[in-house]
Amino acid sequence: MKRIFPIFMILLLCATAQAQQSFLDVTAPGNRQLQLAITTAKNLSGQQSPETEKVICDVLQFDMTLAGPFSVRTVPGKGDGGGIRPGEFDLAPWKSAGVDLLVKSGYSLSGGSITLECRLYDVMKKKELTAKRYTGNIRDLRKIVHTFADEIMRGVTGEKGPFTGKVAYVSKRGGNKEIYLMDYDGHNAQQLTRNGSINLNPEFSPDGRELVYTSYKRGNPDLFRRELFSGTEAAISARRGLNITGAFAPDGKKIALAQSREGSSNIYLIDKSGRQMARLTSSSAIDVSPAWSPDGSRIAFVSDRMGKPQVFIMNADGSNVRRLTANGAYNVGPRWSPKGDRIVYCRQEGNGFQIYGIDPDGSNDTRLTSDGSNEHPRWSPDGRFITFSSKRGGKEGIFVMRADGSGQTRVSQGSSEDSHPTWSTRW
Amino acid sequence: MTATLHRRDPRFGWMLLFSILIHLTCYLILVKYQLYSFQHAEGPVYYVDVVSLPVANPQAGSPSQPGGAPTPAKREEMALPARSPQQPIAKPKTPQREKSPSSAETSRQFEERLAKIEQQVGAKREAAAIEALRAKVAGRGGEAQLGVPGGKGTEAGSDYAGYIRSRLTDAFRTTIAFQTKSPEVMVRLTIDRSGKVAGIRLERSTGDRIFEDAVLNAIAKAEQTFVPPPGGKRFEYSYRFAPEGVSKK
Repeated sequence: MKRIFPIFMILLLCATAQAQQSFLDVTAPGNRQLQLAITTAKNLSGQQSPETEKVICDVLQFDMTLAGPFSVRTVPGKGDGGGIRPGEFDLAPWKSAGVDLLVKSGYSLSGGSITLECRLYDVMKKKELTAKRYTGNIRDLRKIVHTFADEIMRGVTGEKGPFTGKVAYVSKRGGNKEIYLMDYDGHNAQQLTRNGSINLNPEFSPDGRELVYTSYKRGNPDLFRRELFSGTEAAISARRGLNITGAFAPDGKKIALAQSREGSSNIYLIDKSGRQMARLTSSSAIDVSPAWSPDGSRIAFVSDRMGKPQVFIMNADGSNVRRLTANGAYNVGPRWSPKGDRIVYCRQEGNGFQIYGIDPDGSNDTRLTSDGSNEHPRWSPDGRFITFSSKRGGKEGIFVMRADGSGQTRVSQGSSEDSHPTWSTRW
Repeated sequence: MTATLHRRDPRFGWMLLFSILIHLTCYLILVKYQLYSFQHAEGPVYYVDVVSLPVANPQAGSPSQPGGAPTPAKREEMALPARSPQQPIAKPKTPQREKSPSSAETSRQFEERLAKIEQQVGAKREAAAIEALRAKVAGRGGEAQLGVPGGKGTEAGSDYAGYIRSRLTDAFRTTIAFQTKSPEVMVRLTIDRSGKVAGIRLERSTGDRIFEDAVLNAIAKAEQTFVPPPGGKRFEYSYRFAPEGVSKK
């Protein structure tokens, strides 16, 4: 019996394994875009405002078009009954028109405030996916609509969009390189620093409430930390020499940066108050631009220890250094995606730079840009998009694109030179 | 002290009995869990849908007839003439012409040929009459249902899994959408005896919500074209959905 049992079990396992593989494949070519219809916002009560309706429609259309999975069209929304709530209109005309998703909205203006009600419907399933009502100042209308765009992304994909995040960047619009803040789509720009010096490399804290950046306002490139809501700031690394390319760790408590102490630049770790914690690299070469993996276990950085600048990866304690980029003679500016599956960086090609994406194991090295010179790639907090600066078409400006390089769109406005963008988490 | 160990040789009879028991056990397991049919389902399935009609149940032996009772298979038969076989066939009238020796010979040949045709027609009429009598003797006449009793002629054929895949593929072509690199969804589909989807179980997914919705939409769309499973039984099978040409790393 003791001999029979193993044989019996082996036969049973074989039979089970065969059973588990019993399925048929169903495949289809292509990748259809979901047909998303956005109806004109309906005036629910109070004064009608065509300007408000236009802003609502424009913001939703821009966000959803950039998102990628949608083919967006804006329609008057008449002919289905006209209401926005379930039961107040008929979904059948939309279904017969081939619409997959329908956005309906209504607003009420009262003095300087607005109440906006937005609803997303799955036309195929005849189901309401999400419904939100926002009340706020009319000046915050764009932010309110971006908030609902985030909800649309959650309703359709299961994960919120990044459209309410802010982009910090360097602009020369006042003559000097100052730090500015704007919506991700280029609206509502506001100046953060006014020191009349050179300010570079802004980076958000994980919660989006703080910013570190390098400033020459004291004559030396020092690293400053600024609290965005209070406006207070302090120098957290002001050693003689370089204090540059600071990056918050995912826990928000540590900052990795490049300091030059003994002639060469190396990667160091400090806490938020500037207290020195550890030295991570100790080569005689130039090591700069640390970029944390989302789990905080590894750091990508740039080093010329092999002659030319290349991207390397090490453990967060400085051990196990290995080269990441194998192609190209000059690779800089790595940034790890929030999901951890990709790293973007810049490669020098000809007289400019192009943005590439690569897996952390060095595979799938893919070029993402090709027009003009493109630098400083930074991920959106959800990893769907990348913002970067580009010199295409003349002056340097801020662009956004999808993670696969598609949908490249200029968002910075005006004729000033804008660069070094970085995308904050949702506010 | 020494002890002698005696090894017993297993006898052939016991080994044979043991082998039969093992084989029987395995066979019963395969039959009980219906694993026997999987080796057939693994092979490539070719489904040819010519007129978008359900595949006829081979047991019923008659093609489906939408909207009414099935009729027996149509036989190749000759149409019966309106008149009875006893009536003489009218001979063609020849024009009255002045007869020459050669024309008289032609007339005789014509009459002989006509007689042969009459014989052939008569033989065919007899054969048709005998065939009709045989059908009548069988007891059901022209209204007989051929094939196994109980077969309605509206069920799908034995390769129902392939048939369902064909319907799903057609629908999936119109709904496919995804946002990740290599999406994949495995669903366990249960179809009740009336051909309606009784259950959809998501067995595996790469997590692409848009792709999952596309799969569910495809199933809902394809369901409208499903016909009942063969044998009036519930049908359950797994299908793996993926974009064409996209493979996992």
